[in-house]
Order: sequence, then structure tokens, then C-alpha cells
Amino acid sequence: MTMLPLKRFAVLALPMAALAMTTSASAQEWTPSRSIEFVAPANPGGGWDTLVRTMSRVIQQEELADESFAAINVPGGGGAVAWAQVARDNGNPHKLFATSPPMILVPLAGASRYDHTDFTPIARINTDYSIILVAADSEYQNLDDLFTALKENPSLSVGGGSAPGSMDHISVAGLASAAGMEASSVNYIPFSGGGDAMTNLMGGHIEAVIGGAGEAVGQLGEGSQLRALGVSSEERLGGGLADVPTYQEQGYDYTFDIWRGVMGAPEMPEEAVEYYEALFAEMLETDAWREASDQLGWIDAYQDSDAFATFLDEQQEQFSSVLTDLGLMRQ
Amino acid sequence: MTRFNTNQWLALVLALVAAAYLAMAWQIPNFPLPRPVDSDLFPKVLGVSLLLLSACLFFERPGPIAGADQIDQAETQGPLLLTPWARVIVTAIAIAAYAFLLVPLGFVLASTLLCVGLTAYYGYRRHGVNLATSLGVVLALYLTMTRVMDVYLPTGVLPF
Amino acid sequence: MDAFNNLMYGFGIALEPINIAYVFAGVFAGTIIGMLPGLGPISALALMIPITFAMEPSSGLILMAGVYYGAIFGGSTSSILLNAPGVAGTVATSFDGYPMAKQGLAGKALAIAAYSSFVGGTISVVFLMLIAPLLSKVAVSFGPAEYFALMVLGLTAVVSLSDKSLVKGLIAAVIGVMISIIGIDMQTGTERFTFGSIHLLDGVDFLVVALGIFALAEVFYMLLRGGGGKEAPRNAIGSLKLTRSEVKQIAGPVSRSSVLGFFTGVLPGAGATIGSFLGYSMEKRIAKDGDTFGKGNIKGVAAPEAANNAACTGSFVPLLTLGVPGSGTTAVLLGALLVMGVNPGPMMLEQRPDVFWGVVASMYIGNIFLLVLNLPLIPLIAKILDLPKPLLLSLILIFCMIGVYGMSFSVFDLLLLLGFGLVGLGMRLFGFPAAPLILALILGNIMEESMRRALQISGGDWTTFIDKPISLSLLVIAVLSLGLPLLKKRRTKRLNTAE
Repeated sequence: MTMLPLKRFAVLALPMAALAMTTSASAQEWTPSRSIEFVAPANPGGGWDTLVRTMSRVIQQEELADESFAAINVPGGGGAVAWAQVARDNGNPHKLFATSPPMILVPLAGASRYDHTDFTPIARINTDYSIILVAADSEYQNLDDLFTALKENPSLSVGGGSAPGSMDHISVAGLASAAGMEASSVNYIPFSGGGDAMTNLMGGHIEAVIGGAGEAVGQLGEGSQLRALGVSSEERLGGGLADVPTYQEQGYDYTFDIWRGVMGAPEMPEEAVEYYEALFAEMLETDAWREASDQLGWIDAYQDSDAFATFLDEQQEQFSSVLTDLGLMRQ
Repeated sequence: MTRFNTNQWLALVLALVAAAYLAMAWQIPNFPLPRPVDSDLFPKVLGVSLLLLSACLFFERPGPIAGADQIDQAETQGPLLLTPWARVIVTAIAIAAYAFLLVPLGFVLASTLLCVGLTAYYGYRRHGVNLATSLGVVLALYLTMTRVMDVYLPTGVLPF
Repeated sequence: MDAFNNLMYGFGIALEPINIAYVFAGVFAGTIIGMLPGLGPISALALMIPITFAMEPSSGLILMAGVYYGAIFGGSTSSILLNAPGVAGTVATSFDGYPMAKQGLAGKALAIAAYSSFVGGTISVVFLMLIAPLLSKVAVSFGPAEYFALMVLGLTAVVSLSDKSLVKGLIAAVIGVMISIIGIDMQTGTERFTFGSIHLLDGVDFLVVALGIFALAEVFYMLLRGGGGKEAPRNAIGSLKLTRSEVKQIAGPVSRSSVLGFFTGVLPGAGATIGSFLGYSMEKRIAKDGDTFGKGNIKGVAAPEAANNAACTGSFVPLLTLGVPGSGTTAVLLGALLVMGVNPGPMMLEQRPDVFWGVVASMYIGNIFLLVLNLPLIPLIAKILDLPKPLLLSLILIFCMIGVYGMSFSVFDLLLLLGFGLVGLGMRLFGFPAAPLILALILGNIMEESMRRALQISGGDWTTFIDKPISLSLLVIAVLSLGLPLLKKRRTKRLNTAE
């Protein structure tokens, strides 16, 4: 999965819970006693790494914590290597890692022994959305055109930046279901990244591409060789994507979030979770975060630990049902 | 019974590898969605190719072996621990030990130990120079990686 | 004329004192990073994003581009001196560079690498300046079918890379492809040959295999041959100077490989590695003294070095004109540009000419800096060969380990490195060439993926590979390049028997 640092667009969500959080002081205050290992389960440069490094930098700049956040890269297995490592650190309050939909999808695909229930959810931080792209000279003007064509000729290829059964595939398969197609009939072509898929779209090798909105926004606009047909958010996005209608506007009752958040070692003490929740909520309010977030095109979508846990369970349910429709569910 | 030549021995070993590889290739599960070429085709082709190539190798007359005659014969007479093959084996074991001790001991300590130890073992007698160079290089690498590049390396027992 | 005006405009930006400083800092840092295996340009650039965050976009890109091509420039050093290629693009350089160093010609090998890199870099900047917008069409015209054909063409080099026994070369290549497909199959998400280990899910990294089979195996081999203290240190670095006839010899290879390298670099995903291998095997085939390739032929150093630097410049074409990254490194550069508020893409030439032309102009300056910086450094760096051999051997070992560990932070990979070192030793002892294995390792996986992707798009129709003109021509060239040497051999045989 490639998640490049994202392009700016207007910020929608407000960290509602943040205000509530900062006021509640628990009975026993917990503070870190040494530097916090903040793991990016991927190589430098990807989405998880950018999140980890940006958060660490903002927290340090604004002097929000007494101890420093040390960014550590543990690449491998789409996250599985890092998860196996963190899972061994039962109860360690000084170990966190960045997370996003692969946390649900990789275990569902059977490629990780640990799933999200093995870790302590700390907070959801922000989100990106899926977007459907076609070539600028394509005959498809909206989602209806595309899906009518796909229904007639299911061999038309839709490219994405990750393997079948992972984020991009789930996102487009779910949309196809909502459009009344059989999810598994979409001819999904996995490319080695979103950029690779978009190049192939420009070259006319495939019909459409499903990708991350943040990654695609740089490709759109005046003189672009690509056109966006729809975005998976609930409301229209701002900036360069203000003209792109949502799926829902076009009568497809389907949304898809590419959320990012932070989780911690299994069975982390309650007080530590509260400490981090408050810390991250405070971080989201800083100017340094605002600035970084704007430049990277991140949309804040804060949830505290409990809300995040519920959200993760819902995501798992949603993804399982799409995977079952696709016939890709591990028994 | 004629004795096998080197190529024939190699061919037999490779054929065994190919057979094991093919056995694994046949266990690759099919993808639930129909694919024109599934995950198992390429491995099967590769396994068969290796099998065929090892058959070719079996019948190829061996050329002079490049490496074996280069082994320093004089040194094979010395103490067992210093014979050429012992040097390779000891080095391999040292690397494996390094891999396992890297995290508990920390990068600086483990690397310096490995470097100084092997250098002395290979017969370098100026221990002062050895220690100074090894420690210098390791520290320089460590500081470049951790301080300048912000790459995390295990600190281990040392405080930094 | 237009290009000239644009270039002058670009130089106006690149020659601002602050930008000259950035070019210098970039290429200097790049050279150092290139020399250290494991600190590839990708992680170096990713870690620089926070620094460039607040910079003027043209300055930021000038700095980062400098690090990138500086790293490719400097990457040849460890290939030549230690047989330890740190970047995939410099593997081919070690084939002749390391033998030269062993013959006491390290200085000359490094100098040739520097000159060839300089020429390759400069020729390709001229191309970048003149035809970048046109080339963006070439870049997108390569779909999965075309990539498959290109990989097939690349793999034909296996034949020229396996000198003594073709069978052994092919065996090495098959094993290389076998290693390349370990891990999760991108097309289906199925695990293959991982033995249930999570450490193998992402496959085996190129660097682990290359450092194992080249550098570690070399150390083992030297130990077998008597690495004890009694052997005199090899202090011959040799002269840096090239004779006129040597310059004449490498002029052809350098210019051919520069062009070849640039065009492979333009193709997203192909890049420096294929360029350098194709350049090397092309020169080996057309050279009259082709059989001395691999034994320290200066053309064998010049061709891949010119190609990989040209390819590095070429990879800026899809990045700047299409806004799509052609490689992991340019993906990070793209990310950095977006953070700085620049949208690379078709409109970039109009919207941000300062960034485009500033960077192009800075590349001329950067290449000159690299040459001026590297030439005086050569005798200093080559001094590493003066170290007593026991110390040198252990330092190479440490160098490989930090290279691997700094990349993956995985103890498992260190053990894998050791395993490949022993495999490499066995291959050397039994006469299996290492180069075909490495080439197949790099290309095998891309070949399989693009073949299956093409078939998935065509609905299982195999004619897709010969229906497309580009793919068809590449396949024809591949067949010809396999067939011609055989024909040539047969004809010389016939001539010989006629006599």
C-alpha cells in the first residue's frame, strides 16, 4: 500500500471530543517515565511513517510531553512484523504504533496472527477518502456512466494500488455492491502503488482507477489527464476536490474512510491510555499540527479510545462482509 | 560403478531442490476469484526449468573448478582453528552470534566486539590500532545513522 | 532557442548563492549516503522532508535532487572497492570495477566511474531539457504488456553474463527468479514460499542478496585463500589518469549507455538497474574484447556508470511532467514537492517554471560539483584498501551488517545475509556466476507481475503481448539478441572449419 504524503485541501472534521477530553483529569495522573517508542510499521516515506514523524515533531516542537517520542520503523508484511513485535510487549505503556485500515484487512486476509482486538486503541487522528478516476478523454462523465458500462462488460479493468482483498479493492467492491453489481465481478487490477495505477490510466491501459483522494488531488485540475467521478466521503471535500461529487450525491449509498490512528501495546494501563488521549487531543489543537496537516492534506477525525474501539469493530464487520461477498474471506 | 563428477553431484542436489520446490508449488492455494494465470503457474514453470537445467548440467563435462585450487594449501597444515575452512566457519558463527546479540548488547558494543574479535582472529597483532580503528568506524557509522539521519539503532547496555 | 531561454532562466535560479549552496550540500550528502550501503537515497530523502518543509520549492527540490543523483554517483565506490553494491543501480559496476581494484587499478576504476557518471548525468540533463514534455507520452505508453516485454529483453542479458557455462548461468537465473517471487503475491495476496515466516511476507530484499552474494562471499573466499596477516596489504591504488587510447575506448560505451540509460530511466519502474545491466551487456556483446568483460575491462565500468546516472536523471521526466513517481526514490520526492505546495504534473511547466528549470539547470552545476568533489577524494577513499587485510575484512563485514540492519531493522535479515554469503561462496567455488542471479532477482518479480496484470486486463488473451507494437518490437529485439550471438558463433565455426 502506498500512501504518499497528501496534498492540501480544506479541513472538514472537527475534533469534537478533544475539548471534552482536556478537562477530565483522572484520579491517578500517569506520565511517561522514559522516551516513548512510536512505531511506524513500514519503511520511511509511507503514510504511517509520515504520521509518526509528524506527530513526534509537533509534540516535541510544542513541548506537549516531558519525554520524547522516538520514531521507529519496523517494516514488513504490510504491518504484520511490527504487530507481532508490539504484541509481545504486553502492558508496556511506552509503546505506540500508527494504524489504518490494513490493521483490519491484513488479519482478515490471514496474513497476521494478531488483529486490532489484540492491541489497545488510543485514538483515531485523521482520515482520507477513496476517489474514482478515469482518463480526461474518457466517455464516462459520472458514476452512472461507469457502472452502466461495467455492468454490460464486466471485463473492463479497474486499477488500484494494492493487492486484491486490501484497501482499494474493498473500497471499489463495496461501491459496486451499492451500485447493484456483484462485488466479485469487478475486474480489479492490482498495481504496485497508486501512482503506478494512475500512470496506466493515463496511458489508456485500464478504464478506471480507485485511489486515495489525497494522492490524486495533485493529478486533478486544469490541464489534467485525469478526471474524478466521485469521492467516498459523506460531504464534499474542499480545495482542489470541491468539484468532485460524493458517491451519495450520485445516488450510491456508500462511504469509505481511509482513517489513521494510534494504538498501543496490549493491555496498556487505563491511566496511560487517558494520558495519550489527552495529549493527542491537545496536539490536534496546536498551530504546528494545523500547519503540517494542511500541507499534507490531512482531515482531522479525532476519536477517543472507546469511540475508536467501537469504530474499529464496525470497520471489521463492514470489511468482513465485503470480503465475504468477494469470496475472499479466510475460513 | 562409475563415480560421479562434480557437475553430476551438483545436478543431483539441484534436482532435489527443484523437486522440493515443485512439491511446494503444488500446494499454493488457488485464488477464489478466477485469474488467467494464478499464483502457482510461475513457480511450477520455474521448478520444471530447474529440473531440466539440472539434467543438462548432469551431462555437461565439468570445467576446471575456479575456486578450489585457489585454497592456500600451506595453511591447511596449520593449527585446526586457523585452517582456511575453519576461518570461514568461525566467521559465519561470529556473524550469527552478532545477529542475536545486536539488540541485547546494542549496536556499538556488538559491532566493535565483532570487528575487533575477527580482526585479531585473522592474525592482526597490533591490538591498539585494531581497537581504535574498529571503535572509530563503528562510532562514526552509529553517530551518522542515529544523530544525523535520525535512524534508530539499538542502544543495548550502553546509555546512548 | 526557446530551450536556451528557459535554461538561462533556470540558471538564473540555480546560480543564486543560496541555491548553489544547496546543490553543493545535496551532492555532498548524496555522495556520502551513496557510499554507505543501507542508507539508500530513499530513506535519506524521506528523512529530509521535514528539513525542506519550509524551504522555497525550487531550493528544496534542488537540494533533494542533488542528494539523489549524488547518491547514485557515489554508489559506485563501495561496488568497486569492496564488491559491496549498496544500490541496485551499481551492481553492474562491480563486475569489472572490483576486478580492476584487485589488479591495483582502483584509482583508475573510480576515476572512470566518476567521468562516466559525469558524462551520463550531463548528456541526460540535455535530453531532459529538450524533450521532457514529449517523453511523458513515452512513459505512459508503457502498460503491463510492454513492461513484460521489457523485462524479457532485460533477462536476455543473462546469456552474456554467464561466461563459462551457459547452463550454470541459467540455473543461477532461475534461482534468482525463485528468490524474487518469495512473499505475498501482489496479484492475489497469496503467500508463496514464506515457510510461514512473517519476515518473508515482503520477500527478500535485493540488498540482502547482493551484499551476501557479492561482498560477504568475497570475504569468505579471501579467508579461504589465506586472509592471514602474512599477506602484504594491497597498497596499489594506481594512477587516476586515463591514457588517450583509454578515453577513446570508453567514449563509445559511455555515450551509447547514457542514451540507453536515460530512456530506461524515463520508464516508470524500470530505472537505473535495468539501464545499467542493459548497457553492460550491450557493450559486452558489441565489444571486440567482449571476453575480457568481468575481468577488469574499463568499458565494463564506464557503461553501467554512465547508464545509471543517466537513468537517474531520466526518472525525473515522469515525476516532473506527469506527477507520477517512477521509483521509490521519486515517490518520496513527489511527496516532498506536494508538502512544499507544488503540484508536479502536466501544468507544472507553466505553473512553476522556476522549479522545473531551476532543477534542470542545477543538475548541470551538480554534476560538475560531483566531478570536482569526487576526483580529489578518490585517492583518499581508495586508501581504505591500504588497511591491513584482517582489519579490512572485518570492516567489510560490519559495513554489510549495518547496511542490512539499517534498512530493515531485522535480525532475520542479518541471518539471511549470512545464508546468502555462504550460498555465494558455494557458487564461486563451483563456478556459478552471480550476476545472472542478481539480474533475475531484480527483474523476475516485475516480469511475473506485469505478465499477469496484462493477462488480467486482456481477459486471459495471450495475444496482448504481440498485438501492441512496443511490446512486439521489444520481444523481437529480445529474440534477435538471443539469436544473433548463436548465429555469429555458428558462422565463425563454419569459417574455422572451412580453413
